[in-house]
Amino acid sequence: MNDKPHIASAFDRDLEAIQAKLMRMGGCVENAIRNSANALRSRDLELADQVREDDRKIDELEAEINEDCARLVALRQPVSSDLRLALSVMKIAGNLERVGDYAKNMAKRTNLLAQMMPVNGATGSLQRMANEVLAMLSDALDAYIRHDQPLAEKVRHRDLEVDQMYNAIFREFLTFMMEDPRNISACMHLHFIAKNIERMGDHVTSIAEQAIYLVSGEMPSEDRPKANATMDMADDAVIGD
Amino acid sequence: MDAMAHTDQISMPGSAPLTEANEVKIAARGVDVFYGKNHAIKNVDVDIEDKTVTAFIGPSGCGKSTFLRCLNRMNDTIDIARVEGDILLDGEDIYDKRVDPVQLRARVGMVFQKPNPFPKSIYDNVAYGPRIHGLTRNKAELDDIVEASLRRAALWDEAKDRLKESGTGMSGGQQQRLCIARAVATQPEVLLMDEPCSALDPIATAQIEELIDELRQNFCVVIVTHSMQQAARVSQKTAFFHLGEMVEYGDTEKIFNSPEDKRTESYITGRIG
Repeated sequence: MNDKPHIASAFDRDLEAIQAKLMRMGGCVENAIRNSANALRSRDLELADQVREDDRKIDELEAEINEDCARLVALRQPVSSDLRLALSVMKIAGNLERVGDYAKNMAKRTNLLAQMMPVNGATGSLQRMANEVLAMLSDALDAYIRHDQPLAEKVRHRDLEVDQMYNAIFREFLTFMMEDPRNISACMHLHFIAKNIERMGDHVTSIAEQAIYLVSGEMPSEDRPKANATMDMADDAVIGD
Repeated sequence: MDAMAHTDQISMPGSAPLTEANEVKIAARGVDVFYGKNHAIKNVDVDIEDKTVTAFIGPSGCGKSTFLRCLNRMNDTIDIARVEGDILLDGEDIYDKRVDPVQLRARVGMVFQKPNPFPKSIYDNVAYGPRIHGLTRNKAELDDIVEASLRRAALWDEAKDRLKESGTGMSGGQQQRLCIARAVATQPEVLLMDEPCSALDPIATAQIEELIDELRQNFCVVIVTHSMQQAARVSQKTAFFHLGEMVEYGDTEKIFNSPEDKRTESYITGRIG
């Protein structure tokens, strides 16, 4: 990466403005994850509605960022690290928008779950998983803005923990459903929420990969650890029952 | 462009997909150039490939034109210029005493920044080289060379009905294509171009760039340009010069996507370098 200023200072201002907007969008998405997880745990329907309302702002920011980047490419013809910056900002804005959508989906399901019998202990594990994704997102955005490749690499490998948490939750929910079929409706929704959080982790990983691309000029190879073992578990559950 | 669709590598628009390396046409080894006491080129090593467009980029005074002019011994005409090291064309040292610079320049043609047609007819401009080098036996053969050269320079359709008119009466872009036709008429192996589009408007520039891409099929083309977009558009290899050093040389895609050297990055991204 090149820390020297451009000869055209307006170019620097454009690049800084785009990154500032991306960080603002990142902040909105962090709030969305935090609020949706809290709303789920405390059955706070007002907060859940707030998450759905706030998602509009996230979508607007993504559209603005895409427009700003298109304008930058058209007017400045960026190359090398400047081009990577424009491309990665667009990609990250797309990832953040998806994470925002998953948070909104959690909020919708929170409304439905509020009408059902609570499943004891289920929301605690989901909250822990959401906290982990939130911490990863915060680090991924820090790594991006500070051009901190080692931190981005760490985030990328932490997705394994989220996958493992998801596997544990999957197992937990299977047990709840087997114990009492009246839990099935709620557990189905809770499982979708778990899956949503797991998908958030994948998008956060993609953000970390964009940080690596921005700094190094190369996308990291595919060999990061993954641990989705739920396919095998589903079989075990059916056979074992 | 069609060929690009078959490759999933990120390609710069207009550049050819990466293929296996072409043969080395010009090899420079340890080249130094001095203008009196001024050390203008410092220890440059480079392999320039045949059937490839190689762009030299860098700020003014970095030595890129000086180095280009070494490749057909144009620096011989400057008294205080001294060239050291080896420049091999097809493995033969072009600075060897037995090499006739005039013959060399028939093999290594040059196109300059400002179109400089002779104050002669379009026909005579193109026929000049073949005549002085005695490349033809009769008028019919010369006619064929003139037509083929004008076609190669994408100028035939515009010039065929006015071959007797003066070359200097054409538009700037046409004049530059006439100079390219004149350069290719001696059937050179290498074409050197020193900022061939800097005096032209964007349409004429696009026509010359299209022409350069076609010339690559038959020639080794080396172009000096101040327009980095032009280098990215027309070349497959790029060399970045800075303060007389060749800082970085490689695939154009690599140079414009993620150059190795900080100085290259600073220059191509428009930073104070």
